[in-house]
Amino acid sequence: MSEKSAYDRTADVPMTSSRIVRLIARREVSTRLKDKGFIASSVFIILLIMGSVVFQVLIQSGADEVAVGVTGEPQGLSAAIEDQASALGLTAEVTEYDDEAAVREALEAEEIDAAVIDAESVLVNESLDERLRVAIEGAVTGLTIADRLAEEGLDPGILQPVSLDVTSLKPVDEESDEKAIVAFIAVLLLYTLLIFFGQFIAQGVVEEKASRVIEVLLAAVKPWQLLAGKIIGLGVLALGQLIIICAAGLGAAIAFDVITVPGAAIVTVVQVLGWFVLGFVLVAALFAVCGALVSRQEDLQSVLLPMTLLLVAALFLAITAGQNPDGTLAKVTSFIPPLSTMVMPVRVATGAVQWWEIALSVALMLVAIVVTVRVGGRIYSGALLGKGGRVKIQDALASERVS
Amino acid sequence: MLEFDGLRKSYGTNLVLDDVSFTVAPGQMYGFCGANGAGKTTTMRIALGLVRADAGQVRWQGRVVDLQTRRRIGYMPEERGLYPKMPVAEQLEYFARLHGMNTGAAKKSAKDLLEGMGLGQRLKDPLEKLSLGNQQRVQLAAALVSNPDVLILDEPFSGLDPTGVDALAANLSERRARGVPVLFSSHQLDLVERLCDAVGILAGGRIVASGTVDQLREGEAKRQLRVVIPGTDGSWARDLDFVRVDSEANGEVLLQLEDPGRDQDVLSAAMAAGSVSQFGWRQPSLVEIFREAVAA
Repeated sequence: MSEKSAYDRTADVPMTSSRIVRLIARREVSTRLKDKGFIASSVFIILLIMGSVVFQVLIQSGADEVAVGVTGEPQGLSAAIEDQASALGLTAEVTEYDDEAAVREALEAEEIDAAVIDAESVLVNESLDERLRVAIEGAVTGLTIADRLAEEGLDPGILQPVSLDVTSLKPVDEESDEKAIVAFIAVLLLYTLLIFFGQFIAQGVVEEKASRVIEVLLAAVKPWQLLAGKIIGLGVLALGQLIIICAAGLGAAIAFDVITVPGAAIVTVVQVLGWFVLGFVLVAALFAVCGALVSRQEDLQSVLLPMTLLLVAALFLAITAGQNPDGTLAKVTSFIPPLSTMVMPVRVATGAVQWWEIALSVALMLVAIVVTVRVGGRIYSGALLGKGGRVKIQDALASERVS
Repeated sequence: MLEFDGLRKSYGTNLVLDDVSFTVAPGQMYGFCGANGAGKTTTMRIALGLVRADAGQVRWQGRVVDLQTRRRIGYMPEERGLYPKMPVAEQLEYFARLHGMNTGAAKKSAKDLLEGMGLGQRLKDPLEKLSLGNQQRVQLAAALVSNPDVLILDEPFSGLDPTGVDALAANLSERRARGVPVLFSSHQLDLVERLCDAVGILAGGRIVASGTVDQLREGEAKRQLRVVIPGTDGSWARDLDFVRVDSEANGEVLLQLEDPGRDQDVLSAAMAAGSVSQFGWRQPSLVEIFREAVAA
């Protein structure tokens, strides 16, 4: 600060880096919140995610539950159908009706999915679920065989299946399926938000270059402060959006009983949030640096293409990792930033991951962030005042300014 | 004192600044002139830390200008730029705060400035809704809003109508009166001559002339004596062996002396030739000084 001043400076505030970064971040947040385009796309994304969760809920709630109507002979058919269905993973609710007319009526009213008449024929509205068909056939066959055995004077008890003593070497994690679904949805969400906010960051950078306001800004702040302010400002918005989506999604999923083990799902969500923060900082910095290389919005997509492809690759790898979490591909990519931000959460949810693997992945991510912000900050700073077409990375590094 | 000391800058093999040194005193309005591409913008950008000099430094109050001191500089870049969609008052407030003002002072300063520029009704309008002239006013306000101790303005007058020029000149004079050194570049030499206490002329990356306008006139090699004797031609002057006549028309003669001390001899000769109505050293305009300095 200069010793003498032409003006009263008593009300001035010392300009620390954190204060400057906060000021810049705050402007980003308030500008975006007033931007109709941003709000509209945010609402669209939230609705899209919610919609897909609700869709999932509807499919899941309907699929494994069937209602069956039974009328006529033989005795015990209801119980047999329920047993067979449950062996096939279906929950069958069997209701007995007095006569064929009653069961037909129930079927037409869609109270039941199938009507079994006298253990001889099955009536359905459109088509018979394959598993339900097997269950009904099994039940009818079982009862018929038991009847004939009884007629021959044999004890139907000989039909009791031999019970095998099963010991599993790798006990199945009851929760792992649910975790995998939650992790998959979360990774999809991560991908969408990273692309969405990455674009916004890059557009914001280009806007400052295109409108030339950058020269006024850089006369007072350092490029890295500008970069950090942007990442933090948009990061806060992105995290806010993610938390809204997660909370609503989890709430809905628990309410509709899609998830039976909320604790595990919440842990997965929190874990994904952590990965999002790391991934966001890295991806946002990469997008910002790319944005700094061009001066017009029209040129933006071409420089962003490699970044977008990288994220698409990460999504693809994450999906692959969900199917084969302990494969070499999943293992290797779960350590490579920024792929790791999407692959690792899936591996953690579905596979067996050692604690040191997570620690190593996080550490590599942090290293990548530091390097990107350092080198990227230099490119950003050198490229910001360049104009015309595209700035080459090496030129940007060469013309980096003093401070 | 704002000192530019030995600035050098080249882009590749292209030497843009070659040992540029000059000083702007507190309360001085310094006009920075030069043809396009002479290096004015580069010089200013170096002061603001936007371009790295190959050699030399810029000092304010004896200390090399760093980011802290830079916050006390009001800067208006040649290529204007603000956020197009941001409301003007909010925008100025933001820049004031980035320069170290607290929220209350920033709000007040932004509002006062805009009202003073006749934009009191437009505080909440986004910049892009304003006319180009008004956008230019806001741009200037962005340089002034933090009450800077130093002003560096790149072509602040370009694009302004005469009323705008007068308003800007008045505003700058007020700041000069507080002791703020004002450095501005301009192509409008008449304006520089009228407003500035000191002038620097940049050509080919070098300061070819620098000082007060009077000093520059003193240094003018081609000083001319102007003599008017109505109803005569210049033959009386042509007969003098120690002068060179540059022009003669309608009784007016412009001439140069080998020895400037012999001006009284010219007066005697003139009085002998007829009734002298005007006699004196001609004041060269800044345009003439500029032409000669740049040509040298």
